[in-house]
Amino acid sequence: MSVSVVARCLHKTYRDGVRNVDVLQGVDLEVAAGEFVAVVGPSGCGKSTLLHLLGALDTPDSGEVQIGGQELQDLDLRQLAGFRNRTIGFVFQFQELLADFTALENVMMPGRIAGRSEAETTARARLLLQEVGLEERWDHFPNQLSGGERQRVALCRALLLEPPLLLADEPTGNLDPRSGTQVFDLMLELQNRHGTTALVVTHNPELAGRCGRVLALEGGVLHPRDR
Amino acid sequence: MNGSWVPFPLYVAHRYLRSTRRDAFVTFLSLTAAAGIALGVAALILSSSALSGFQTVLRDEILVRTPHIEVTLPGGADLEGLMTEVAAVPGVVSAQPWIRGRGWLMAGGRAQPVEIVGFEDSLPEQFPGLSDRRPGLYVSDRLQKNWGLATGEMAEVISARPTLTPFGPQPRVKRLAIAGAYAAGRTEQDERVAIPLADAIPLFGQENQRLVVACADLGEAMGVAERLEVLLPPGSIASTWRDQNKALFFLLRLEKSLMFVAVFLIVVVAAMAVISDLMLILAHKQAEIGMLGAMGSRPESLRQILLWLGGLLVGIGASVGTLLGIGGAIVLDRYRLLSLPGDVYFLDHVPFLIRPQEVLVILISTLSLALLCSWFAASRAATLRPVEALRR
Repeated sequence: MSVSVVARCLHKTYRDGVRNVDVLQGVDLEVAAGEFVAVVGPSGCGKSTLLHLLGALDTPDSGEVQIGGQELQDLDLRQLAGFRNRTIGFVFQFQELLADFTALENVMMPGRIAGRSEAETTARARLLLQEVGLEERWDHFPNQLSGGERQRVALCRALLLEPPLLLADEPTGNLDPRSGTQVFDLMLELQNRHGTTALVVTHNPELAGRCGRVLALEGGVLHPRDR
Repeated sequence: MNGSWVPFPLYVAHRYLRSTRRDAFVTFLSLTAAAGIALGVAALILSSSALSGFQTVLRDEILVRTPHIEVTLPGGADLEGLMTEVAAVPGVVSAQPWIRGRGWLMAGGRAQPVEIVGFEDSLPEQFPGLSDRRPGLYVSDRLQKNWGLATGEMAEVISARPTLTPFGPQPRVKRLAIAGAYAAGRTEQDERVAIPLADAIPLFGQENQRLVVACADLGEAMGVAERLEVLLPPGSIASTWRDQNKALFFLLRLEKSLMFVAVFLIVVVAAMAVISDLMLILAHKQAEIGMLGAMGSRPESLRQILLWLGGLLVGIGASVGTLLGIGGAIVLDRYRLLSLPGDVYFLDHVPFLIRPQEVLVILISTLSLALLCSWFAASRAATLRPVEALRR
């Protein structure tokens, strides 16, 4: 299952001390359902900000975001929370796994939030851990896993509820090149298998080149870039 | 705690509570907060039990010597007829005439101002500690001991009301043999002597007569007094044991209320520690809470996580405090571990009486305040925007 992502004329300004920083200056974006898009750009250019706006974690100063036909600005905080739970899977650079829960419990967390049955959620979480080669490490806590393993757990967690949209912010940014490539391979494979729409923010041009389309964020707007 | 039936906020809060073991500083603060609540609850239970124990002993000492209801009648009232009517009122066990007045007791060349009570038939229950209650002159065991009085010895009871004669006011005196000594108790009270009604009437006159009404129990006295008001002649006053000791009971209540407020300050400080602890946990877990928000956890669920966490901390503290307080009060009372100088106080040890309703009030007040403080910290979690929490 997948959804399209549409952004129209997104503006976002931050206050940095006494001056305003216009991070996004009218970003337009269209991602077709099932597409895998990479967003590249230098540090501080607003890639993460764009991802937060597309993921309903933040609101733009102006402009519109539409995911699967749903206008995000029409939803209140409660509805946005439910929308994120059903529609979007997040993978962050620092994983943000819950330190007091095992790998399996971390993967199951979106299911618990959604109120799904324990049996169904456990079965699905175990299957995903098996797919990423962590079936033997389900009862390990995050501090007992390597960086690459933690990122694989985070990937499983993002895909637990089979969200139609996967948003990844520098998923390999904190990993060594080998682990980074492994995680990216897995992401591509899982995205292919589940048909999920995916948008990945990365610094790595080599990994970006393996995505269906590459966009560069420069001067607060998106430009197409050759792979 | 991992069953599917456990609500999501409680599931996360329980795990966070266990996790504080891994962080020495958070653990210390959590323990301080829970220990503060425990200490406050234990101190409240112990102090209120000690006051209840003291007050109950004091109350019993006083009430055993106070009539349930004393009816003051207007002059010329038909005492015999009223006694029959009063005895028929529901809740009344007995009704007796009695006279009260001031005067002196003289024996062996000594004199003592006393309250003189005239009674009919046998000695009333308000003069405890005697099995033989035949009519006669009764003095307190304290006076008997101090003066070295013996049973059968003659003493003079003198009324404060003189008889006016052409030769001037003449004292009204009755010379009676001492029939026995009643137990005066350990509380400070005026000296009282009891004499038969037939001897008291010449001392104080007929118009000073009153009715003493005994009820099945103390609690019924107020209802019975209301029922008596209807049938008593105008000008009568039915005063219950509560009316007669109004000032004392007010002071006892005031003492307990002030003590509660003072000791409750411990709980207030502990509740502040709960806020600090929750805020610290919130700061430590900010990114995780942000991630829960990103995964779709609603603001109210995030608030409930912190509320449950505070609730668990406070619940543990209050449970331990209740056990310590109740256990401590039982042990201190049973083994009389807190002794008092018996010649200074009317008791030789601190008595403890645990009243379930007081423990309930203590627990409800403590839990309400601590949960209110938890709510304050929890509200911060609810307002935490996932994007702010995740930003590094």
